[in-house]
Amino acid sequence: MAELKLLFEHAGNPAYQTIEGYIAKGGYQALDKALKMERQAIIDQIKASGLRGRGGAGFPTWIKWNGLPKEKTKRHHIVCNADEGEPGTFKDKQLMEETPFLLVEGMTLAGIACQGDAGYIYIRGEFIDAAKAMRKAIDEAYAAGFLGKNIRGSGIDFDLYIHLGAGSYECGEESALMSSIMGERGMPRLKFPHAPLPTIAGLWDEPTLINNVETFCCAPFIVNKGGEWYATMGASTKNSRGTKLFSVSGHVGKPGNYEIEFGTTLMELLEMSGGMTGGKLKACVPGGSSVPIMTAEMCDGAIIGYEEMMQAGSMVGSGGCMFLNDKTCIVQFIWRTAMFYAVESCGKCTPCREGTKWMLQILERIVKGNGQPGDKELLLDITSQIDGRSFCGLGDAAAWPVAGAIKVFPEEFDYYIANGKSIVGSPLPMVPA
Amino acid sequence: MHGHKTFDSSALPRALTERPRILVQPLESMAAVAETRLVTITINDVELQVPKGELIVESVKRLGLEIPIFCYHARMKPVGMCRMCLVEVGFKQPDGSVRKMPKPQAGCTLPADNNMVIYTDTEMVHRDRKGVLEFLLVNHPLDCPICDRGGECPLQNNTIFYGPSTTRFTELKRHLPKAYPLSQYVTLDLERCIQCGRCVRFTEEISGDAQLAFRFRGSNMQPSTFQLLDFDSKFSGNVIEICPVGALTSAKYRFRARPWDLETSPFNCLECSNHCSVWFDHRAGKFVRMNGRTNEAVNEEWTCDKGKFGQDWINDSNRSVKVMVRKGDAFAESTWSEAYDQIIAAFSGGHCAALIGGKQSNESLFLLGKLFRDGFKSNHLDSRWTRHLTDDALKLAPDTIASLEHKKTILILGTSLADELPMVFLRARKAWFKNGTQVLNVTAKANEADAFATQSLRYDEDHEADVVAGIRLALEGAADDAFALVARRAQVSAADFRAIAKELGPDTAIITSRSIFNVGDAGDVLDGLQAIARKTGCTFNCYAVNGNDAGAEALGLIGGQGSLNTREILEACVNYRVKALWLFDCNPFDLYPDHHLVNDALESVAFLVVQGSNSSSLTPYASVVLPSAAPAEQDGSYVNMEGRLQRGKGMLQAPGDAKPSWRIFSELLLRTAGGTPYFNPSEILQAIGQEVPSFAGVGDGELLKSAVAGGVTA
Ligand SMILES: Cc1cc2nc3c(=O)[nH]c(=O)nc-3n(C[C@H](O)[C@H](O)[C@H](O)COP(=O)(O)O)c2cc1C
Ligand code: SF4
Ligand code: SF4
Ligand code: FES
Repeated sequence: MAELKLLFEHAGNPAYQTIEGYIAKGGYQALDKALKMERQAIIDQIKASGLRGRGGAGFPTWIKWNGLPKEKTKRHHIVCNADEGEPGTFKDKQLMEETPFLLVEGMTLAGIACQGDAGYIYIRGEFIDAAKAMRKAIDEAYAAGFLGKNIRGSGIDFDLYIHLGAGSYECGEESALMSSIMGERGMPRLKFPHAPLPTIAGLWDEPTLINNVETFCCAPFIVNKGGEWYATMGASTKNSRGTKLFSVSGHVGKPGNYEIEFGTTLMELLEMSGGMTGGKLKACVPGGSSVPIMTAEMCDGAIIGYEEMMQAGSMVGSGGCMFLNDKTCIVQFIWRTAMFYAVESCGKCTPCREGTKWMLQILERIVKGNGQPGDKELLLDITSQIDGRSFCGLGDAAAWPVAGAIKVFPEEFDYYIANGKSIVGSPLPMVPA
Repeated sequence: MHGHKTFDSSALPRALTERPRILVQPLESMAAVAETRLVTITINDVELQVPKGELIVESVKRLGLEIPIFCYHARMKPVGMCRMCLVEVGFKQPDGSVRKMPKPQAGCTLPADNNMVIYTDTEMVHRDRKGVLEFLLVNHPLDCPICDRGGECPLQNNTIFYGPSTTRFTELKRHLPKAYPLSQYVTLDLERCIQCGRCVRFTEEISGDAQLAFRFRGSNMQPSTFQLLDFDSKFSGNVIEICPVGALTSAKYRFRARPWDLETSPFNCLECSNHCSVWFDHRAGKFVRMNGRTNEAVNEEWTCDKGKFGQDWINDSNRSVKVMVRKGDAFAESTWSEAYDQIIAAFSGGHCAALIGGKQSNESLFLLGKLFRDGFKSNHLDSRWTRHLTDDALKLAPDTIASLEHKKTILILGTSLADELPMVFLRARKAWFKNGTQVLNVTAKANEADAFATQSLRYDEDHEADVVAGIRLALEGAADDAFALVARRAQVSAADFRAIAKELGPDTAIITSRSIFNVGDAGDVLDGLQAIARKTGCTFNCYAVNGNDAGAEALGLIGGQGSLNTREILEACVNYRVKALWLFDCNPFDLYPDHHLVNDALESVAFLVVQGSNSSSLTPYASVVLPSAAPAEQDGSYVNMEGRLQRGKGMLQAPGDAKPSWRIFSELLLRTAGGTPYFNPSEILQAIGQEVPSFAGVGDGELLKSAVAGGVTA
């Protein structure tokens, strides 16, 4: 299959970044439709579309939209997770910079369907251009009556705010994100079954919907053309519908964002992005640095779909797809990945705080040629003491790549530990301290 | 090392050195009423019923089981940080089978619900505990042999019970400052910290001063004050006790003893009239440290810094250890019998009086009263030191500390609660934090209670009477111009008076302290507040502030009704009507506002007895100095500001010749009035029960009879 540009159809077109240009290309038709629909009918369309969260976990979107109380007793908040910190992922950035109105409209639709009073876009602190683009779009939407009081004369109010992060990956975790919005330290909060779902008690203990940028951007198409229409895309997969953005990087000819229909194969994605450079395909991390690494054999025939990728031994994740050629040292690659998680651990819980640091210390010793027999097993043990034991998903996300790599590339670790050097002979890269 | 010593905060812009006012908001879910509905859960195959929402870490205790913890603390919101309490959780399915959750769950944050199945003893649970402990220990310095906490350390204990016996960690450990002075009282060993967040949460949730926070993240995360300023709190000592390792240490206790070398005894702190239950730790006859002891009625488990770090006087080198008698211009060591002879000669005949202060037991106070009335034929005793003196004060403590928790509104008037009555402060804050009580803080100066008060009202100092008058006017619905005078004098607008007044009702407690008697027109303040209480149906509490003042008052050691009061006694000394004065554990220069009068009185009086535990600046005036034992050196009972009688057992030996005061008075009673002497405090307390109705039949920890029904009264 080739690229299928739905969200990205007008990406790169400067006119699309103005409200007039957006409307000229069919923008805001969904909003006008939604304003005439029953709230539940909007949610039903999302349900029919089969849309699943694009932030990483693939949670059915309609369940969240449906989860906010229908009888409103408190403020309802609509939150967009635009923190995009997962290494290898850069799709939300492009969406915000080039299709900002999709996000504005998508969040407004959620606001209408879920009786939201206001929306908050939590944008990664480094994404200045994206924040500027969103600011401009929001201002234009307000000026044209698509946001604020009495939207398009409907009597519905919806405000949209931007909140910039301050450089913490953990603040992309939805409950930490909410802590951050509320002015607290960016640490995650208790989750179900320890605390109510965010749809019941999120921001300021009030019902809150939180979705990824891409998830929201799908909503206008679904409401406009119908959930059933949307669900025709990806129909070949078990349970993944529509299109998905992949941020392809690594040793490929044309790195960048690619929009594909679910059901496309991983190798087709590789081909789209210009194929391998500098060597043969050795490994792929298909869904952001947290997901288990795949060998070339595993990639062969892997179909992109939530269940399909699980079957292939990894995950769709956030769509940050890194292809690595055969000159890549997996041990060094994992060492660099582990460094990210050790630095980004928020420190709240013991397994992640101590485990990520310890793993990094061991990996660092190995890549510097001081590996000891038993290091590999120790690393595996540590991952098993973090995985499922940490407070939030960051701990798991730190454990999976290490455990995954040891599982599928054990010989690289054995060689490095035994010989004090990389199996592919690659020198230790410089990393910023 | 970067310490406070080298941190020059004067170099910071003013905005940074000014302490930020941080208001930690309680979550609504905390304010929710505790569920009373029962649910059925299963723990290790045993089915039991528990209140819905009860945390599993608590539920297991019902079966005599324990889930190991670090970060969980029953008095604070659970956070699930340390992961020590992981258990396996499943849910009973309709067909009777159990569906286990794939991941272990933190027992300290998991609310009980129907069909929940908990396993605390599976292989996975044991492995997880080992795992968490291994992680906690990789960067722990393991300097247990020199650590204050060694021997009473939750980390040690959990490691022994649940931890790995060897380490697999061969990397470099984290190195951090070992003796970082957070404040004059608290020293932080950053290497030992296990980042459990208890200390941070204490300052956010309990003391409310929000002095501590975590800085940096991941494995670099460390508890810290903001901008490395001093840990400025009136309750900082508590964090030392709740720290589950030896990271937060007492600057005074650091490296002074090992816990197993200490003897400990239950005691009550007498530094203020709250009388917190504490553990008194001592070694080789010397006081070493004081820790909080659980007493839900009074201090829950907390202490204040004034008490916790204020016990040094017991060990002080200035303890009074010898009986001294003036011989001409000189002062000489003497014997008890010589001193008694002189005292009896000077005091007999009735032209004598006693002024009383401090931390003396009911038993001593009772016998002093008896000695004066029966032995010296004088009724001139007073234990009060305020400018304004009224025996009304005795009926003014209807609310117990614990009952404040359930008030709808608390009006604090004219007292800095955190200073004067620390435990009342903590309860008022808890009432706000947990139950949504609204607190109105009406004081001349800003203080800690402002941080959570819904209204803070400031007035011009010493204008309490006008403030009270203003509130009364508001309650009467007076027109604006009626407020003109009080508004001008107190610098408070009619609108502000009305805003306070409209919140007062039957569920309101007005709180003030005896120090209100030092303000101008204190009588009017008192009358006014009583009138407000009558009008609104609220309760009015004027709590005693110091030591055993409430006990002294309950025993009738107050002037008035034909006997001289404090001021009159001092005046009578000046004009020679009182010829012999007994200063019992008090320094009038510290206690009485009019220093000239004090000086004149002490210079004029012919015979002065100075009795106390420590020598003081009064010695030059004294005719006789009597050394008496400290509270920890004798058995005795005390009455706190609620009217709660609590008995204490002495555990230390009094130094030198010092004797318990009750014994001194008993010996003098025998020499003056005759009769059978009292041999021990229990006997005396029994006598008190027979002679003072409010004490009749009151057991340890119970409220004095009339205190329950509207005030401490003799
Ligand atoms: C450590 C961590 C970081 C995350 N970062 C992001 C992120 O940057 N952006 C995002 O959309 N979701 C992120 N997530 C996932 C969110 O928690 C959440 O699942 C998502 O925002 C839900 O939106 P969706 O249902 O639309 O996918 C992260 C999760 C974890 C555990
Ligand atoms: S797993 Fe624990 S330490 Fe890591 S980011 Fe989540 S809460 Fe923080
Ligand atoms: S200092 Fe003690 S109480 Fe504070 S976080 Fe560290 S271990 Fe916990
Ligand atoms: S005691 Fe439960 S996580 Fe710390």
